[in-house]
Order: sequence, then C-alpha cells, then structure tokens
Amino acid sequence: MTSVTVTNKEIASKQLGIMLLALIGLLFAGGLAISNLMTAGHAAFNTDNLGLFWGFPIVIYDYFLLTSTGLAMVASMALIFGGEDYRPIIRRALWLALAGLLGGVAVLMMELGHPLRALWAIPFSFAFSSPLYWKVMAVSFYVLSLVILQARMMKPDWQTQDLRINAMVTLALALAVTAIAGVVYGSQSFRPFWASGDIPVAFIFESLLGGLAFIIFFTYLAYAFNPAAVPASVKKLFNDRLTNLLALAIFIHLLFVLARMSSGLYGNAEGLQVWQTLATSRLFFAEIFIGLLLPLVLLVNPRTRIRPWAQILAALLVMNALLIARYEYIIGGQLVPLFKGAWAPPLLNYAPSPTEWLLLLVAIFLSNAVNAFGEMTLRLGREG
Amino acid sequence: MAKWGMVIDLDTCTGCQACTTACAMENNRLPGENWQDVLFYHEGTYPNVKLMWFPRPCMHCENPSCVSVCPTKATYKDPDGGFVLMDYNKCIGCKYCQVACPYGVRFYVDEKAVVQPDIRGVFPSEAGRQWDPPYKGPQDDPSRGIGIQPHGVVSKCTFCYHKVSKAPKGVADLDEDIPELKEYVPACVRVCAPKARFFGDLDQPQSMVNKLIADKRGVRLKDETGNKPQVYYLSGGATASVPSLRSMNDSGQS
Amino acid sequence: MDILSTGLSRRRFLQASGTAGALGAVGLGGGALTTLREAEAQAATTPGETRITKNICHQCPARCGIDVYTTNGRVHAIYGTADHPISNGKLCPKGPLGTYILYDPDRFKGPMKRTNPNKGRNEDPGFVPISWEEALDTVAERLNTLRDQGESHRFALCYGRGWGASCAGLQGTFGSLYGSPNVAIGHSSMCSDGSIISKKALDGVGGYNAYDYANANMLLMFGVGFLEAFRPYNNNMQVWGYIRGVKVPKTRITAVDIHINTTLAGSDRALMIKPGTDGALALAIAHVILTEGLWERSFVGDFTDGVNRFKTGERVSPSLFEEKWVKGLVDWWNTELKDRTPAWAAEITDLYERDILATAREFGTTRPSIALFERGAHAHSNGVLNGMAIHALNALVGSLYAKGGLMSQMGPSYGPMPVDAKDFMDDYALNGPWKTQPRIDLKGHKDGYLLANNMLQELGPNSLAGNPYKLDTVMFYQTNPIWTAPNGQVWEEALKEVFVIDTSPFPGETAMFADLILPDHTYLERLQDAPTYPFQGWPMTQLRVPAIAPLYDTQYFGDTLIEIGKRIKGPMGDYYKALDNTENVIRHLAKGFATDPGDNGVNDFESWKEKGVWYKKPYIYRFVDGEFYTWDGQDYAILMTEEEVKESLFKTDSGKFELRSGWLESNADWIARKTGRDPRTLMFPHWEEPVHPGGGDLYMVTPKVAMHAEGRGANIPIAIATLQPVLGGRKTAYIEINPQTARARGIANGSRVRLSSDLGSIEGYCKYYEGCRPDTIVFPMEHGHWAMGRWAKDRLPGHCGEITVNQSDRITGQCSYYTTKVSIEAV
Repeated sequence: MTSVTVTNKEIASKQLGIMLLALIGLLFAGGLAISNLMTAGHAAFNTDNLGLFWGFPIVIYDYFLLTSTGLAMVASMALIFGGEDYRPIIRRALWLALAGLLGGVAVLMMELGHPLRALWAIPFSFAFSSPLYWKVMAVSFYVLSLVILQARMMKPDWQTQDLRINAMVTLALALAVTAIAGVVYGSQSFRPFWASGDIPVAFIFESLLGGLAFIIFFTYLAYAFNPAAVPASVKKLFNDRLTNLLALAIFIHLLFVLARMSSGLYGNAEGLQVWQTLATSRLFFAEIFIGLLLPLVLLVNPRTRIRPWAQILAALLVMNALLIARYEYIIGGQLVPLFKGAWAPPLLNYAPSPTEWLLLLVAIFLSNAVNAFGEMTLRLGREG
Repeated sequence: MAKWGMVIDLDTCTGCQACTTACAMENNRLPGENWQDVLFYHEGTYPNVKLMWFPRPCMHCENPSCVSVCPTKATYKDPDGGFVLMDYNKCIGCKYCQVACPYGVRFYVDEKAVVQPDIRGVFPSEAGRQWDPPYKGPQDDPSRGIGIQPHGVVSKCTFCYHKVSKAPKGVADLDEDIPELKEYVPACVRVCAPKARFFGDLDQPQSMVNKLIADKRGVRLKDETGNKPQVYYLSGGATASVPSLRSMNDSGQS
Repeated sequence: MDILSTGLSRRRFLQASGTAGALGAVGLGGGALTTLREAEAQAATTPGETRITKNICHQCPARCGIDVYTTNGRVHAIYGTADHPISNGKLCPKGPLGTYILYDPDRFKGPMKRTNPNKGRNEDPGFVPISWEEALDTVAERLNTLRDQGESHRFALCYGRGWGASCAGLQGTFGSLYGSPNVAIGHSSMCSDGSIISKKALDGVGGYNAYDYANANMLLMFGVGFLEAFRPYNNNMQVWGYIRGVKVPKTRITAVDIHINTTLAGSDRALMIKPGTDGALALAIAHVILTEGLWERSFVGDFTDGVNRFKTGERVSPSLFEEKWVKGLVDWWNTELKDRTPAWAAEITDLYERDILATAREFGTTRPSIALFERGAHAHSNGVLNGMAIHALNALVGSLYAKGGLMSQMGPSYGPMPVDAKDFMDDYALNGPWKTQPRIDLKGHKDGYLLANNMLQELGPNSLAGNPYKLDTVMFYQTNPIWTAPNGQVWEEALKEVFVIDTSPFPGETAMFADLILPDHTYLERLQDAPTYPFQGWPMTQLRVPAIAPLYDTQYFGDTLIEIGKRIKGPMGDYYKALDNTENVIRHLAKGFATDPGDNGVNDFESWKEKGVWYKKPYIYRFVDGEFYTWDGQDYAILMTEEEVKESLFKTDSGKFELRSGWLESNADWIARKTGRDPRTLMFPHWEEPVHPGGGDLYMVTPKVAMHAEGRGANIPIAIATLQPVLGGRKTAYIEINPQTARARGIANGSRVRLSSDLGSIEGYCKYYEGCRPDTIVFPMEHGHWAMGRWAKDRLPGHCGEITVNQSDRITGQCSYYTTKVSIEAV
C-alpha cells in the first residue's frame, strides 16, 4: 500500500492546488462580477421586462441546487439501502452536496434584488401558498440535515445503521427540495412549456442523474484523475454499481426529455412553439447525442464501461448535458412572449451576458474551493 | 367595501396611447416600461391588412397568481377595493410574480433602460430610490408600491390607488366627466379622449361598469388562467359572447 | 446608518471605495447594501399643497386647455381642463409630456453668445453666457445700424408655431415700424398652405376649416391622420368616441392614405392610394355623384327640367343647368369630369374600381358628409388640384356651413392694443427704401410664388444665392429650418453667412448656427394668449398662466421682441416703451371681453386667468335648405342676402363656391407660364400627374405621428419609446417597407438600410409591414437630430429632410414633403 500512501500525499497537494486555483478563479470571476454589478446593477444581466425574467443565474442556481440534492439522494439512499459497498463515496457526496449548494446559493444571492432581506422576509412571511416559500424552508432544513449527517460521520467508525434515521430525513428533504423546485415551474399552468404535474418527478430523476455523474467525476478528481490511485473498493463500486445506475438514470432522463419533446412538438398551446426552435437547435442535439447518448453508449459498452477515462468522460458529458437541459427548460419556458405585438418578436432574444457567465464561474470556483477544502481537511475519501 | 373594476371598450379605443403616457406622468414610469401598455398587432396581406391594438393595464385579478407565488407576501390583494399592490419594503426581487403573471404587467425595476441614455442617471436619487426626477408626483407610499421605486423590487400598476382610495365612500362610478370625482379617477381613464374606459365598483350591481359588462358582453383576458381579472373588455356589440370558463360556482356563475 | 443613508448609489459607492474595497465590503452582491440603505427611505410621506394653474398645451397647434398641477414648487401632473371646449378634461398622448419638456435637462439656461466664428455641424459654437442687457443691446445695435444704412430689409424674422397677439401677433407691427418686408415670415408653406390656398381658390376664404363632425354621418378623409396628428387631435378622438360609439346612426368613415395607420384601421373602409393621386379619386367620386344624380340640389342647383344629363363621356349644355351656390359646374363637367370614371381613377390611384364606386355612392348618399384633406393629399406638385378636387366634393353634397358640415373659424373679441402703431411710424417706416424691396422668399413676386402666403423654405436658398439679396440678420421664433426645411443642408450654408438669433428654449440644429441665443420660457412658465385654431367655428381664445416662476434666466419671446423694439431709435422705440410688456398687452386684449363676456363668464383679465379660456357659442352662420342664415339668439333665423354671403362666407368674385376658380383664372397667364398648365382649364379642379423628384424608385412618405410633440418629441424619452406603436421597437423607430419590396432588394426584416435620393442618403432600420404600399417607404418624421439633446442625438432613422428635394407647389407654395422618390438598399 506504500504507493497509495505516496499518491495520497501527492493528491493532497493537488487538492491544495485545486483549492488555490479555485480561490484565485473565484476572486477573479467574483471580483469582476461584483464590480459589474456595482456599476451596472442588475442591468449587467441580459434579462428584461419583456418576458425573460429569470435568466442564466437562476439556471445556475437551480442546476447547483438540484445537483446538490441529487448527491444527497445518492448518499442517503446509499446509507439506507446500499450497504457497505457504497461507503467510499457517501461522505464525499454529502460534502459535495454542501459545496454545490453553496455555489448555487451564492449566485442566487447575487441575482436577487434584496438577498439579505430574503433571509428574514421569507421565513417570517408564512406565505404558505408560495412554492418559493416552501422551497426556501425545505432548503434550510436540508442544509441542516446535511451538516448533521456529515458531522456524525466525522468519527471514522460510523455505522450505517446508526445513521439511517438521519439519512431518511436527508433523503426526504432532498426529495422535497427537488420536488418543490419542480413545482415552482410545473405549477405555472399558463406556461405549457413548463406546466406539468410530472415535472417534480422529472426533476428528481434529473437530480439523481446529476448526483451520480458528479460523484463519479469528483471521486476521480479527488485522486487527481490518476486511476492507479483510486482504491480498489471505489473501482469495484463504480464498475459494479454506479456505472449501471448512471446508465439507467441517463435512460430515464432521456425518456422524460423525449416525451416532453414529442408532446411539445405536437401541441398547439401558446408557448409550446418554442419546441420547434429548441428541438432543431445545435445545443439540443449536443445535449441529446453528445451529452446523453454518447455517455450511455460508453457506460453500456462492455469494452468501455470499466475504463476510468470512459467513466470520467461520461460523467463530465452528463454534467454538461444537465446544465444545457436546465438552461433550455428555464429559459425556454419564457421565450414565447405572453402577447404578440409590435414590440414582441416571435421568440424573445436571450443569451447570457458576460456577467452571467461570470456567475457560472463563481459557482464552479466556489463549489470547487469548498470541495477541495473538504477533501483536504476532512479526508472524504477515507474508507473509515 | 368596493371592488374596483375597469371596462375598456375596444370598439372606440383609438390606440393613441394617452393612457400609457398619462400613467407614465402620474406614476413616473421609466420610458418603455409601461404599467399601462397598448399592444399593436397586424394581420393580412397588402392591400387588405387588419391593424389592431389592445390596451393592457394590470388586471387586478380577483384571484391573482402573482400574489399566491410571492414568497414574502410583498405583493398582496387589498381587501378594501380589490387592488393588487406591492410592498416595496418586503419585496426581495425574486421576480417570481413576474413569471407567474399571465398578463405581463409586472416590471423589475433594475433592468436595463429601454431608451438610452438611462434617464435614471440624469436625475439620480440621493435617497436610495431608483431616480429622482424633478417632475415626480408628490404621492409616496412604498408599502403600496406608490412613488419612485427603490432598487431591487418589482413594480406594477396600482389602479392609481393614491387617487381611487380617496374617492367618496359608496360611489358606484368614478366618472371623470363628473367634476367632483375627476381627481379620484385613474390617470389612464381620466385622459381617455374617446371615453373608451370606465371605472367603477363591480360590487355595486347598478354601476356603469356592470351595466356595460352585461349589455355589451364584457370579456376578461385569458380567463382560462382562472385569475379572474377585474378589467373587462368590450369587443363589439355583435360579438358572440365567449364562455370564459368551464367551471361554475354554486350559483351557476363562473 | 448615517453613512448608508447619505445616498450612496452603486456607482458612487464604487467611486468612493474603489473596486477592491467594494468587493470586500459588499460580499454577496449589491442587494445586501440596498437592503440596509433603503430601510430608512421607505416610509410614506404626505405631500404639500397642490396648486392648479390653467395653461394650454404646446405640443401641437390644437391648443387644448390643460390644468397644471404644482406641489412644493414642482410641476408633476398635467390633465385636460374639464371646462375647456377642446380638451373637455381629456388629453392626447402628448399632453402629459409637458412636465418632461419643462424639466428637459438639455434646456438653454439663459442668454448666450457665440465665440466660435466658424459654423458647421461639427463646430462647437462655444456659447458663453451673457446678460439679457448685453444680448438685447447687441441685437438693437445691429438693427439700428441696418436701418441707418437703409438696409433694414436685410433683417428677417421667421416664425413657426405662432400662438397669439402677445407673441407672433407683435411681429407684423415690428416689421412695419422697423421697415422690413421680411418681418415676419411664417412657416405656413412648410405647414399646410396647400389646404388653405386650394380652398381659397374655390370658396375665397383662405383658412383652415372648422368642422362639425359630431353631426356628420359620413367622413371621407384624404391623407389626414385623423387619429394621429390632425388638429385638434384630442378633440378628434373625443368626437371619434362619440360618432363611432354613441351616436345613432354611427358615422361612416372612409380613410385614404398610403399605409395602414390607426385612422385607416379604425375606419369602415381603408383605401391605400398611390401617393399624389388623391385628386383622381376625388374626381371619380364627383363623376359618380353627378352621373348618379346624388348631388345636393339645394346647394348646387339642378337641371331646369329635373332630368340628369350627366352621362359618362357626354358634354352638357351649360344653359340646361341652373346653378344655385356654385359657379362653373357644367364647365367643369365638360372640361374634366365627364371622363373621370372610377375605372379611369382605378388606373391612376392603384385602387379597385369597386371600392371607388362604393365610396362615391356612400359619400353621395350619406348626408351630412364631409370630405377633409391635409398634407397627404396636397403636398405634391399637383397639390392645389388635388385639394380643389377634394374640397369640391363638399360643395357637391352641400356641406359648406351646413349642420354636420364645415365652416370657417371666427376670431375672438379682443380689445385694442395699448397704443396704435400708426401713431409711431417715422418717415423711414412709411417711405423708406425697404418699401421697394421684395420679400426674401419671393412670396407674392412674379419670379417666385405670386399666389402663396409664405415661402419660408425659400429663405435659406435665396439668401445664399443673393437672389433677391443676402440677409444680414435673421431671428427665429419657434422654428428650426435647418431641420424642418427640405434639403436643410442648403440652410446650413446660408446661415453661415448670416447673423443668426434663435429664441428657442432648447438646443436645436438652427440654434447651433446661432450667434445669439435669447431663450424663451417653456410654455408652463409663460403668460401667453392664444386664439383657437379652427375648431368648431365659434370664437375662442385662451391663456397660458405660468405654473411656476421660470426655472432659468429666460424671457418670453413677446417681451424679447418688445425689449428689442424699445432699443430701436426713433418713434418705434417709443411705441414699445408704451407697450411696456406682454402682460400689459394681454391685459388690454382682455378688455374686449368686458363688453362681450364669454359663455363661461370670462369678462376680464383675472377671470380669463382663472378659467384659462374665453369662448362664445354658437357659430353664427348656417346653411339650411338652400339658404344661408345667421343666428338671432334663438335659432338660425335671419336670412342672409347674396351680398352678405359673399362678404362673409364665399369671398369669391361671384360670391359663389367657384368650381371654376375666378382667382386662378385671373392669374391664368402667370400660372400657365410657371406650370405649363393649359390656360383654358387650369382654373378647374383637374387631374395632373405629380412630379416626383429625387431620382429614386420608391415614394417616401414621412408622416407626423401621434407622439410627435412639436419641436421636442425627439428628445423626450417616453415619446421616443412610444413613437411608432404599430411597428415600433420601444427604442427603435423603423422604416416601414412592404415585404415584397424588401425581398426583391434582398433586404431582411429588421436590417439596416440606406435611403438615397439625389441629395444624399440616410440610414435606419427597416421592418416589414404588409400595411405599407409596395411602392412606398414610410417612417415617422421625428429622428435624425444632431443637436437637439442627449436622447435625440443620432437616433435612427436619419432625418428625411436631408433627402427631401425642395420642391413646392407653384400656386400654394406648399412644400412637397411627400413627393420625393428614393431608393433603398441594404447596408
């Protein structure tokens, strides 16, 4: 095991490198973004009052939030149902869930008109009719449960059976956050592109898909993409279980996307017209063929499925596909103007502004910095 | 308690946009961000082309979807009058109400200025508001979304709450042609030269708005959303009335 | 809390703390800062006392009475005056913009003189503030010197929107006391003289008409823009609401224009006519009215035996027809109308024969009916003929002075001026060398425009050419000819060599060529009288009452003129000292009300100020069943003699409505020489192919739109955002182009295009519009300013005037704004 120990040291230094890089990136991207926001205010975003109210920052926020809940679902379900085989990834997934959430919430805070006001105004509003009220409440408890669970696993000799209740609560909250996030959109009945009773379910499967992809990718990252450094237990878990689960999740997600697409293309309801554009766009093709089908092939093909590069690539592609999907869903639901008229084009024009792209970097760098910090200090990969 | 409603006669509306500019003046609207807008459409091929227009204020719905999604109760339905209002002190600028409004009549105040250079920069505010134009109205009530907006909030039509709420109690019609009532009439109604707009109490059966809705078959915009606007449109005496909703209440009305 | 509430805007915060500091301080975005900063600012406040003053709107000629709301010294609202006969408490979309005009940040702040001797678009005038004393002395010195040299004719005073006796009304006297034929030159030829003079050719009156729309059952509008720009727009819309929504029977409306605007959209029948061919349509309608026997016999007369002999293509013997109030009907038929069938007109106008026929029958059978027209129909080389043909329709259906017809406007009962100018004429004024000088614009001159009222568009080119002479000094009131004149580039050259005085409160293109700026108040700061524009015939005059003291060091133009007058040597100076100031003038005007109080009780200056308007209903003349009557206090009961009709209603040689125009006939030689028209037929409304200069293949029409706030719309952000509702892009005004025209030229929807004529080219963005004729390009006359203010600057599309050829109707002098042909290409 000497070689592994040496590699661990190397890895630790690489984690430090990642963290420093992420911090520098964060300082740069965050600094630039904040400076833009300080000078131009919200005008630094490419949203408008014509109909595109929620732009890329909301996409980023929801993407990171749902990734977080997906990771938490993977971890908590592993704790509840998975047994010891899953042990190597549980703490990492939980920490990553927290890191991702932080990245997402940071972006949301930079998007909201009054982020600090939101902290007290929402909880004390008792606005029971608002999905966002419930979402914020659920996220708050969700964070709490993540922290408690992680704290209880700080002892190297934690036992899965001791954590079951805790895990169930986390799972329930993760599912709740994800489902409510779906309700936020799915309840908007006059926006048929969004509105559907099964959106919360679709969100849950997307979350899970994200959780699986992220844990595979970040586990490899924890070993600096050096397959030799990856412990046998992890390899076994990946080869025997996670790749299959990831493939299955991709397949289910594809079903949801293609089902929505086909009814969207056939439907005449106002707002569904966006599908005509969407389903022929290069981004959509990239999402389907490169982001989902290619990973599926990589993961079911016996010759590639156990190859670390294939697993890393598949995870990475899926992570990107999900960002595209999140973007298409949130932006797409707003692209058809609510009214025709001289001022409204058939579809609204929207592309993220430089500041909005910077916010993506902010979320990525912040999450990575936090994650690398965890890898360094919490020994997330330790077997115990 | 009154339930204020507006009737807009599309048959006599001339598409002049005086409602838009009067609202802009009364409520210090930013150029191009019209609480009260007029949308223009055209169809057909030369030489037979149909040009139409559609005035669109906030509908002040009976069952407003913007209110139910607000996570802080910053936007609310005033039980006395039925106004849908904003409390700038509670709004966090999440824009969910904008997303949830089927009528597109809510405005996030910090968006890019439609007309450049940004007039807000010409008249900057020293009091934490968006801007401070010398011609701003004297009325100011942030808890009802009246006055120049602060940053980071969503703004919307107030049905000229600062005027209407001062109307004598029990009045059924706020008719701008009655001299003693003109100051209580919403700006868009008051200026309307062809008198295509009427404003009154929907809860008083004898009001002119109810008369017009009944006689001229007033319809509500996008009634399928169930929002139940308090703004009704008259679209021509000969128009067959469109059943606005499938569902009915106990008294057989939608 | 103090630090946070001192008004740190994001930008200022950044400046104060530097970017790096800001990052640390703010943490998660600007919103956090906002929350704290604004906590204090959010309590409701109680406003102070609100004061309402009377005024009249300044943004079009209509003169709507407005209530101006002022609280804590700030003007914050404008609503229509409830008891004002035009506004009736209502406003058009421009009305509320007055507050923005008052507080326009680009206003001139006081008198200034030029320090840079070079003039040009790219020359900074180098204006420096001076005192009013210095400014007025400078002007007076120039004028005195010119007078001393016997060259007083080289001073011109040009005006656009004159308002009343206390501003533009003072100018004529100034000219006759000072001694210049060029004081003052109005802009009417660049406005709508084509309408005034083509009517004058027929009915001898020579004014815009007043209309009784509310009692009409059919309106036939040619190029009028009734729901966009036709004065009084606000009242037009009130009428529209009544005649289309309340009145029984609903008034039928046919609108003729070159694109679908709101007027055409709201009408029963929209006719998209080929530009400049409105006269052909009117002639065909007249043809149908005659052949189908639909004319009003009580006005026109009839065949002696009652048998209609008007048959297409057949001549009629004049002796068989007994004319009543018209002259020359049968001659007109024989020389022109007999062949002007709907089929013929369909060829010329590009309309369908069936639509022309239906329009003619409806117009001929639905009484009372009015045919109205403005610049769309007469701003062409054949304008006078188009105008006459259309106005003749009113005679055929007997609408002149009839209930539901059209009338002339009466003037107010003003008192006399404080002193009589005749008592202050010196020998120079009476017999000076200026008496023999022609006007600089050659108005009333055989080498120029013998029959026109004004020819302002010729002033720049004539002075530049030194024909008849070069001007020395020119002063402008409410006009910006470098921008408003066709081919204004010539004016830029002309004004380089003239001492220019501008009196606008605002910067503008002409002001950038000025040597002196003597800024006027804006209208909410003025005390100014303004008799009504033609409205419903009965007399009315109104008053602007200052809402607040002037914001800046400005002076009402009337007072500027009086102050200059006081500084002119000789008795002229004494005259102006006696006038003293405009308030004194207005107080004297108001004395006329003492003996003739208005319907609203206004009988002196104070009550006029309080009510804002003096008016006296009803209109006193009425045509009923073949005769004219005057009002006796109860009814139209006093029968008018033919002489009285001639004196007051048809001021022609014959005292009749002359379908064979005696006025044109008496100038037939000159007209024939200048226009090449046949001297035997030029006195009849007839068809003549218009001349379209410019060298392009597409007509360019640039209408005035509803949001055109006169002289200022281009710099009012809210007006910019609502300028072109039919196609507008909130921040972009588009050039309308028919898709088939665009595609044939490879022009994509929304793309940038270049419009070119012989004079140059301008650019803009185009938008496809099926409601636009394929042979016509349409865009609002508004943008393309380069010196009007921060919002107007360089806004597209470019200014149509720069590619509009300076061509005028030889008879009316009407500038043919809508007749230039241009070409269009993608940029």
